[in-house]
Amino acid sequence: MSTAGSFSTSSNPFSSRFVRPGAIPFFFPEGCSLEQILERLQQTGWQGQILGAHGSGKSALLAQLIPAIQATGRPTVLYELHEGCRQLPAPFPPPTEAAQPPVIIIDGYEQLSRWNRFRLRRQCRQWQFGLVVTAHRSVGLPELVRLRPDLHLAQKIVQWLLRDSPGAITPEETAAAYHAHHGDLREMLFDLYDLWEQRFRDRA
Amino acid sequence: MPSQPRITIRLESNGRSFEPGDTLRGQYWLEGAAPEDVKAVELSVLWYTEGKGEEDMAVHFFRRDSLDQLPYAAGRWIGAFSTVLPYSPWSYQGLILKIVWCVRVRVFLARGKQVVEELRFRLGSAWVPKGISK
Repeated sequence: MSTAGSFSTSSNPFSSRFVRPGAIPFFFPEGCSLEQILERLQQTGWQGQILGAHGSGKSALLAQLIPAIQATGRPTVLYELHEGCRQLPAPFPPPTEAAQPPVIIIDGYEQLSRWNRFRLRRQCRQWQFGLVVTAHRSVGLPELVRLRPDLHLAQKIVQWLLRDSPGAITPEETAAAYHAHHGDLREMLFDLYDLWEQRFRDRA
Repeated sequence: MPSQPRITIRLESNGRSFEPGDTLRGQYWLEGAAPEDVKAVELSVLWYTEGKGEEDMAVHFFRRDSLDQLPYAAGRWIGAFSTVLPYSPWSYQGLILKIVWCVRVRVFLARGKQVVEELRFRLGSAWVPKGISK
């Protein structure tokens, strides 16, 4: 018989696979909906910015917005830019056979150098591409939504993740993790991952 | 409104721990499904990583079944499977990374819906760092 550690038959609900953008439904702030954002985008010629701090849900919103844009008949091309990525990965412009020009979506627009931002916006105008970006502060595009997560939203997300094990993490523990990271929901969820591991990892 | 099919996965062994090179044998049962609603059933034996970082996964064994290929008895379709397990990667239960092996059955229904069931098992007996195991 093996002496290896316990064999877990269940997952940590705060694992990446459950908390990555798109895995959690996006909970829209009061007075804002997917339909409103789409309508605004259509009014602005498919140009817009989604603003919010680190871990405020910008990528999660994109995960919901992208299929909604596609459903209107506009193809989308997503570029996810990570720390230090100063230019768009090739190819740009992306090859497309769709009848409609694509909406270019840049998650992490502020990573691009000023010159590359300028060039991208000029090319999008020239080719009539849409441009939707996420950023921490305004980059001069029409504002679609500004995300300001609060403790109520944090509790709602945690409750959703714990729907199969309600009460496993208390609202006080969620609040402590939320405050420890000044409202950064991504970091809060990482803390709760660790808390879950400490508490439940030996559960068979 | 048609009811959601139920999937049960069973392994033909006393436990759920296997060594590399062992043969993993089992069955899945599909109940409560209207044949016209089921487009296909996919069976995979696979591993994936789980934890705080990026996910990785690989499929070791894959088969796509249609209901007319499967025996039907006592109100259920039965799909049998058998595969020799590979030598790596072994299951692992780390704090920030886990390697999870499982049998996964995915039923594709009409109108793009899917039902998925997964049964985890352990491959190998990986050493677990002190302080992590019980």
